[in-house]
Amino acid sequence: MWLPVLGLIIGVILGLMTDIKVPDEYSNYLSIAVLAALDTLFGGIRAQLQNIYDEKVFVSGFFFNILLAASLAFLGVHLGVDLYLAAVFAFGVRLFQNIAVIRRILIAKWSQNREKTEKNDI
Amino acid sequence: MGNKKFSFTFITVVIGFMIAIQFQTVKEPAVRDTRDTWELRADILKEKELQLKLLREISSNEEKIAQYETKRKQSKEQVLRETLEELKMEAGLSEVTGPGIILTIEPVHEELLLGKQPDSVSPDLLKRLVNELNMYDAMHISIGGRRIINTTVIRDINRETMIDGYALKSLPIEVKVITENVQSAEKLFNRMQVSKSAEEFFIDNLRVKVEKSAEPITVPAYDEALRIRYMEPVKPDEGGKS
Repeated sequence: MWLPVLGLIIGVILGLMTDIKVPDEYSNYLSIAVLAALDTLFGGIRAQLQNIYDEKVFVSGFFFNILLAASLAFLGVHLGVDLYLAAVFAFGVRLFQNIAVIRRILIAKWSQNREKTEKNDI
Repeated sequence: MGNKKFSFTFITVVIGFMIAIQFQTVKEPAVRDTRDTWELRADILKEKELQLKLLREISSNEEKIAQYETKRKQSKEQVLRETLEELKMEAGLSEVTGPGIILTIEPVHEELLLGKQPDSVSPDLLKRLVNELNMYDAMHISIGGRRIINTTVIRDINRETMIDGYALKSLPIEVKVITENVQSAEKLFNRMQVSKSAEEFFIDNLRVKVEKSAEPITVPAYDEALRIRYMEPVKPDEGGKS
């Protein structure tokens, strides 16, 4: 459970320490890639909580979503249409949905636990 | 299960990395610009001064470049002039002064006593002498005050020896020879002492006296226009094959 969080922290530290800066014209791509990654991450957490987690789907979804988002942004730049907004919108909506599902599951679990403890107390 | 956790961790590491980089990229202008109008004005002034300075530098550098360019052109011209001068000297169109020897062709005194007046020098003898001198590294030759160049004609016209159409002065005739340097002058002197053509002069009752000159000899310039009628420049792909 704590290993992924540790990985996240390690990644952040690594990123801050390497002092890499993306040029301005590519920051769009990176931001959308981050969004896609976050979406995949929360999707993975939700699947885990719903007990439908599949590693292949998760890993492939991670890379595929990032690539798709980046290529969509690329296409948008070359077509002169802000296509990356579509990706932002899609990922944003899914992010919210995923987080909402996670919240519900957690609340359900928590209330179940409470009922159990209350029963135990009585 | 462990594998699953591992891949999940790997992906979280990647996500963390990306987030950190994005964060670094976005927070780029760390210091907010809080200057007011007057400060901005002052800054603009500073930048303008810098610009002025740079422009001045540029123009001065360009000036320098132009100067160098003109210098280069001038030097090219200088080189051309020098080459022309050199070629003129080689062709015999300029007066040359340098180390060398003086040959004096004079009648043999003993023959004078016999009352036999030697006539003028035959052109064949003179040609032979010139050839010999050229063979022994003579650079510039004049005979009786006439410069000998590559196209000089020495021939007999109406029983009179002419050099380029000018009659030779009466005997003695002075032949001035300039060599490249003092050493070659010395060499030429030694060779002319035992010269074969000198002996041939003697057959014609003439004597060639060879003198070394202490001071540099001056050979006059060829004073007529060069008339080249049958000469053609060698084409690069034809000549030079030996």
